[in-house]
Amino acid sequence: MRCEGGIAPGFSRSRGQLVVEYATVCFRSQEDFGPIISFTSQKGVRSVTFMEQHPGDTSTKDDGHEGDGIYIGDQESSQEQDSPAETEKLPMSGVRVIDVGTFLAGPYAASILGEFGAEILKVEHPIAGDPMRRFGTPTKRHDATLAWLSEGRNRKSVTIDLRQKEGVELFLKLVAKSDVLVENFRPGTMEEWGLGWQVLSEANPGLVMLRVSGYGQTGPYRRRSGFAHIAHAFGGLSYLAGFPGETPVLPGTTPLGDYMSSLYGAIGIMLALRHREKTGRGQVIDIGTYEAVFRQLDEIAGAYGLFGKIREREGVGSFVAVPHGHFRTKDDKWIAIACTTDKMFERLSEAMERPELASSTLYGEQRKRLAARDLVNQIVIEWVGSLTREEVQRRCLDKEVPVGKVNSIADIFEDEHFRARGNLAHIEEEGLGEVVVPNVIPTLSETPARITNLGPPLGNATDEVMRELLGISVDEIRRLRQRKII
Amino acid sequence: MIHETKAELPLAGIRVIDVATVIAAPYCATVLGEFGAEVLKVEHPLGGDVLRRFGTPTQRQGDTLTWLSEARNKKSVTIDLHRPEGVDLFKKLIEKSDILCENFRPGTLEKWGLGWEVLHDINPGLIMLRVTGYGQYGPYKDRPGFARIAHAVGGIAYLAGMPKGRPVTPGSTTMGDYLTGLYGCIGVLMALRYRERTGCGQYVDAALYESVFRCTDELVPIYGMYGIVRERHGPNHNEFECPHGHFPTKDGKWVAIACATDKLFTRLAMAMERPELASSSTYGEQKTRLENCHDVNEIVRDWCGSLTREEVLERCYATGAPAGPLNNIADIFGNRQFHARRNLVAMDEEETGETIIVPSVIPRLSETPGQIRHLGPKLGEHTVEVLKDLLGIDDCQIDELRNKRVI
Repeated sequence: MRCEGGIAPGFSRSRGQLVVEYATVCFRSQEDFGPIISFTSQKGVRSVTFMEQHPGDTSTKDDGHEGDGIYIGDQESSQEQDSPAETEKLPMSGVRVIDVGTFLAGPYAASILGEFGAEILKVEHPIAGDPMRRFGTPTKRHDATLAWLSEGRNRKSVTIDLRQKEGVELFLKLVAKSDVLVENFRPGTMEEWGLGWQVLSEANPGLVMLRVSGYGQTGPYRRRSGFAHIAHAFGGLSYLAGFPGETPVLPGTTPLGDYMSSLYGAIGIMLALRHREKTGRGQVIDIGTYEAVFRQLDEIAGAYGLFGKIREREGVGSFVAVPHGHFRTKDDKWIAIACTTDKMFERLSEAMERPELASSTLYGEQRKRLAARDLVNQIVIEWVGSLTREEVQRRCLDKEVPVGKVNSIADIFEDEHFRARGNLAHIEEEGLGEVVVPNVIPTLSETPARITNLGPPLGNATDEVMRELLGISVDEIRRLRQRKII
Repeated sequence: MIHETKAELPLAGIRVIDVATVIAAPYCATVLGEFGAEVLKVEHPLGGDVLRRFGTPTQRQGDTLTWLSEARNKKSVTIDLHRPEGVDLFKKLIEKSDILCENFRPGTLEKWGLGWEVLHDINPGLIMLRVTGYGQYGPYKDRPGFARIAHAVGGIAYLAGMPKGRPVTPGSTTMGDYLTGLYGCIGVLMALRYRERTGCGQYVDAALYESVFRCTDELVPIYGMYGIVRERHGPNHNEFECPHGHFPTKDGKWVAIACATDKLFTRLAMAMERPELASSSTYGEQKTRLENCHDVNEIVRDWCGSLTREEVLERCYATGAPAGPLNNIADIFGNRQFHARRNLVAMDEEETGETIIVPSVIPRLSETPGQIRHLGPKLGEHTVEVLKDLLGIDDCQIDELRNKRVI
């Protein structure tokens, strides 16, 4: 059997909220591999971006500006209903996810499921909404920061007050009609509202529930409030970032642990759905954010357990290899060089035009380089410092030394590879103009994921969900709204 | 066996070939193995996966601790893919498998006659995870990539370090590998779900730098909209919230404190026994705190510096202020929460008598918890078993393959 998949540009209509087109190309071979991702808001086609030429194609890069990409057509006047063909093709089509979490830890798992075709209902407090809406840099839209716009993607917003009895009843009805629930309240909170696992599981025995909290659902610290920043510290990552004996710095980005716990969460949900398909039974996935951070520290636990070795801050380097770090170039920029193996160091020596450094009597072996760490690093520091970043990179790449610019976000926007891979999605948002967000990863050859909309306005789908999904009358909806239950 | 199995694991019956090296793509296979898949680690007969020599060696043939931990549950099968006989064997394995994880530089498998077209023809349902530094296409696709490089290219290394100082390692040099393994695993599980509906396999194209880049909150849209370039923030990041950072305590240790909302700052003010700081005329509002972040940080730093780490944390926990210790690994080994959650698992290596402690499985599933059945295997430990039982190759042929160093 062969899987032929090529799909023509298709349309997906997100319940009239935002029309989004996307073209997917099925690639059966490396030669075919070329995703085209385009977006258009309800005000018509504004930007169609990212066309990757075939690897063999030597023509100039498509820089993704308007008019340069593939024009798909104006959808402004389109009246067609949901065209299910595209969404159905996605792995998560037909799966309904309720995301009642806040910020990112957990909700990002829902985002991923949404990118791959699930319907995501963001259940929020009728007045306050998700605090993520106010977290970060404000935009002209009063209920949306840039962080919300990007990470609230692919959702419909449904307002329900879970602190009111009638809200709880509505929520249970919604749970009965859904497949997955994502939450990240402090453990015990949902139980206080009468929405513990027992109750939810009775309402829907097949329910898969992802629970993310700072410390997990069990253990002595379970009730403590936790954010990624605390999880980085508690999980052992923050201790490692910075110079030896100096101030520990933030390990890159603030919500890293939120992303990490969500990735584990998405995996847990996929596994649980698989189990449910076999048995009909749902289950709970319980993740402490600190655990996701701690899981990624390679041999730190083993080395302490066996040898009592406490890993300390490593500055710009690494305990396993030399040279392996960040180096300043003549034009005052930074570049990363990683000689993980002896072969890599040999290549670097050639790039530095000092092949003798890689001889067995000098620094040819990792062991010797580790012992002479400062000397070896000094040689590299001086060499890198004598050249511009472009020059260092060119010479390293000529010899296949692992090298990379320490990119700022400005560098990233200029980078031809980010552009060719479509890593930046340019999306026209009504009233805001173009919003640039990181595109979906990973890239799947047959069922590439998509961004249907950015973070929605608060309650944009409340009526639709109440009416169409729960069958509640218009009068009743009005009453619920007056009492601020929805 | 670490966890009592309650039900058949979700990936029971799924066979994964892991022909990748180091951590990124192999970690995807590790997660699949924890949840029931059979993972065949295909390695070069001489030396095997370089991860076996990456990090701190143990007495077991010098296999490193990272190998023992991250190759958990895998079976080691040696095949030399540079040899035509090896390629034939590999194709037979592909025929009988569901998932392939690889991380060669683009074009390498193709060079051996094992490109996607070929493998897909042999097994149309095959799902292939391809991890590289820069992905399967794009101008940099042929460049060598490691997590260190990915952190730099993906924009995270630029953000770690003191303002205007040298960018430092963002905590761990292998982070990008793990993140990519997780994205790869999500891709594979999506593809598996799709295959069940259609019978069609596909491949997942994951790039190390992309995984890092995806985890950067507002970094992208804020540059896109306002042209703001985020710089290194040292121990305090006060772009969105204040206080948010690391503070030294009297006993020379560090605590992390983060007040994402005004309510949380109120709790911190209570912990500091200075509730007036949270009034609307002082620092009750995030906006005011961000505008005066230097002063706010100073107040928090003074308070933390007057107490031991334990005292700071006790007072924060008492009012529900978000705080935590900057744990080193010794702190972690002594921590009640890690113990209660069984985050550390000790496994005895019978031959050498060494006790190897590894992080246990996450995520934690209530009905089908993952398992660690054994640690990283010895090189070629399962070659004969797999060739005989799975491929039906007899002893004579196996001897011949071994003599020719194909396996």
